[in-house]
Amino acid sequence: MEIGPITRALLRNKTRFALIVLQIAVTLAVVTNAVNMISAERKEMQKPSGFDDENILSVRSRPFSPEFDKQEYRIASAESDLRALRGIPGVVAVSNTNFLPWQGGGNSGEAKAAGGDGSSYRTQQYVVTPGILQTLGVKLVSGRDIRDADIDDDPASTHSTVMISRQLEKLLFKGKSAVGQEIDTAGGTNTVVGVFDPFYNPYGWPIHEYCIFYAGHVSRSGARFLVRVKPGSMKSVAPMVEQRLLATNDGRNVESKTISEIKDRYFTQGRIVIGAMAMVILLIVIVTGLGIVGMTSFSVTERTRQIGTRRALGATKPAIIRYFLMENWIITNSGLLLGIALAYGLNYVLVTRTAGVKLDWRFVAAGVALLWAQGIVATLAPATRAAAVSPVIATRTV
Amino acid sequence: MLAYNTRVAAKSLRRHPLLTAIIVAGIALGIWASTTFTTVRHMFARDPLPGRSDRVFYIRMDNWDPAAPYPTDGRGKQKAIPPQITYRDSLELMRSQIPLRQTADYVTQTVVYPDRKISRPYTERVRLCFSDFFAMFNVPFQYGHGWDKRADANAEQVVVIDSATNQKLFGGANSVGKRIRIADREFTVIGVLAPWRPFIRMYDMTQNFVGEPEPIFLPFNLTPRMQLRPFGNVDGWQNIGPKYEDFLASDVDFVQYWVELRTPADAASYRRFIDDYVRQQKKSGRFPRPLNNSVLSMRDMMTEMGVVRPQLTAMAVMSILFLVICSMNLTGLLLGKFLARAPEVSVRRALGATRADIFLQHVIECELVGIAGGIIGMLLSIGTLRIIGKLISDTARMSLDLEMIGAAVLLSLVAGLLAGVYPAWRICTLQPAVQLK
Repeated sequence: MEIGPITRALLRNKTRFALIVLQIAVTLAVVTNAVNMISAERKEMQKPSGFDDENILSVRSRPFSPEFDKQEYRIASAESDLRALRGIPGVVAVSNTNFLPWQGGGNSGEAKAAGGDGSSYRTQQYVVTPGILQTLGVKLVSGRDIRDADIDDDPASTHSTVMISRQLEKLLFKGKSAVGQEIDTAGGTNTVVGVFDPFYNPYGWPIHEYCIFYAGHVSRSGARFLVRVKPGSMKSVAPMVEQRLLATNDGRNVESKTISEIKDRYFTQGRIVIGAMAMVILLIVIVTGLGIVGMTSFSVTERTRQIGTRRALGATKPAIIRYFLMENWIITNSGLLLGIALAYGLNYVLVTRTAGVKLDWRFVAAGVALLWAQGIVATLAPATRAAAVSPVIATRTV
Repeated sequence: MLAYNTRVAAKSLRRHPLLTAIIVAGIALGIWASTTFTTVRHMFARDPLPGRSDRVFYIRMDNWDPAAPYPTDGRGKQKAIPPQITYRDSLELMRSQIPLRQTADYVTQTVVYPDRKISRPYTERVRLCFSDFFAMFNVPFQYGHGWDKRADANAEQVVVIDSATNQKLFGGANSVGKRIRIADREFTVIGVLAPWRPFIRMYDMTQNFVGEPEPIFLPFNLTPRMQLRPFGNVDGWQNIGPKYEDFLASDVDFVQYWVELRTPADAASYRRFIDDYVRQQKKSGRFPRPLNNSVLSMRDMMTEMGVVRPQLTAMAVMSILFLVICSMNLTGLLLGKFLARAPEVSVRRALGATRADIFLQHVIECELVGIAGGIIGMLLSIGTLRIIGKLISDTARMSLDLEMIGAAVLLSLVAGLLAGVYPAWRICTLQPAVQLK
């Protein structure tokens, strides 16, 4: 229909339209890559730990009284702390452990299956007392849970009883059951009595799902506990923790923090990236939209007489609106074509220079749709104004 | 002539306040976003020891398991080498005469026993280090000074405390010479730090490097006497005995080691010294892996430890692209504005103004807008940076430094120029005769 005349008219005003084309192109490139970054960050954040994060409290005792220098006292104290914590109404389960979810690291070491192919694998390793599985809210998939009798606190001992995560079982035992098998670690030989699942704790190395739980007490630099509460009772339990523990021995300070707080801190930088990118997307779409409105308004004002003439010669109002929408559509599509190339170009730079994530084509498709919609919305108002131009204008002299 | 052009430009801006406001807001928005996110990146990336960080080096030696290399994050940037060294090796390295300054250091935690009238005993993070630490990392003192080499050698019970600890224990007064009980012994305060909160904890990048410095510093050689165990990153691959002496003599890595070297020649001979040391240790069966040492400058170390998260760079790039969009948008607006003024410009041309004059006048108009937008954008950015700093750490401060203010001013000028140069060119090349008819 009018594509020929529209394009020829556009070409008479190259710079102005080139500016909009470029803007749309850069907008598409930025929006798609920003969405891509947001999606990559969110993917990290949404990975479930497999634990009942919202209902777990981390408790740490920091002793200063001299009696804590003796290991026997520390262990007896940790046991009485466990009892005191279990006695708080609303507490579901407690474990004395140095495991702390979502802190961005932890303890790790090499492990290999005794009698396996000899290759060792790095895995997270923590010391726990019975009750750890209920405390985290993970399931025992085979074998049995550790018991009090499994605990060995002798620092010179070279044998421990352990449970391992399902993913570590797969890695070390290649599909066979680990229950009853032995694992060699730097500390000696360990008998696996149970396998649990799921387990995910992000680490500096790709060992997020590998874990060994050793039966034992954690007391050397102050006992540490994980406490799981009934949903909704965090508010009532948390203040009682310090009080109950100090009642058993006040030669120490007691600190507690919810896992939700720790998780929040862990993802702070990710949230900043998401917030910033979302803001850039919003602003860039608004600014480009205003640019299109401005340009269309300008060309409507400039062509008032021509519009009047067309109306006088019989063009209907919808025809005028269609003209401007079509003009915008041509501009938008040229911009998008260039923008798709730019988007992949920018993504290539981000991937190679900043370890970014490859651009998902669906985001490009969504970006194209968004900018089409934006073009129509931004053109509609000035185009309606153009349609309202009276045919009489054509008959006026200068 | 410049003053006159500026006056004309300012007048033209005042004539259309709404349009001017829109244009200024556009630039302000662009400068705000780009300044904020380039500054966030800059806070992580900038030189923590201006002028000296290429002379300060971090030492690593591969004493890892013969069966498997030290693990990496799998992205291929990190070297497969333990990030820290052992206690025993750090004592040996301290014997070298090559460095101008050197320090071994690590973090631990221990109990501080204040006067019971002031507070309950409390657990505190403590850094063990050598006397050179303070000069090497530009640590500022409010009262007193760091300890000296003799205190290093004799493991004297002296302590340097930060200003918050001084406030808490001594009400902020000059506490040099006062005594504090730390763990099981008495210490004499020898220095009090002025408030010190580097954004990046450059002397320890093995853990949360946006964390605060430790509040208490003690001589490194007190380690065996106080039986201190590290509280930071600890890496080991062998089973070690239960006794404390076994731990200190083991191949467990927990000590960070920094040297300051005067010249590249010194750096070369220090590298040789490290290699020779490891070769000699190999004779006694230690360091079972192939020779793999690293002497990296602080800047290179920051790169390797990934201090600048890649997302920060990506964010900075995107925010600058946003500024480009803002600029291009304004080009359209300015084009319309300038062309509407064609009759007036033609009169000036006819009365003798040269093309250069007209061009200059319009470019100046754009730059005025750029500067105004830039200032507003920068003010907004200062506020935003405060908030982002608070999110990263309660005590971290993010703000524009001179370098970033310079960059922001430059960006505003470039943005103004970018937006205005084409419209200014168009208006100055108009044929006056056509308009004057």
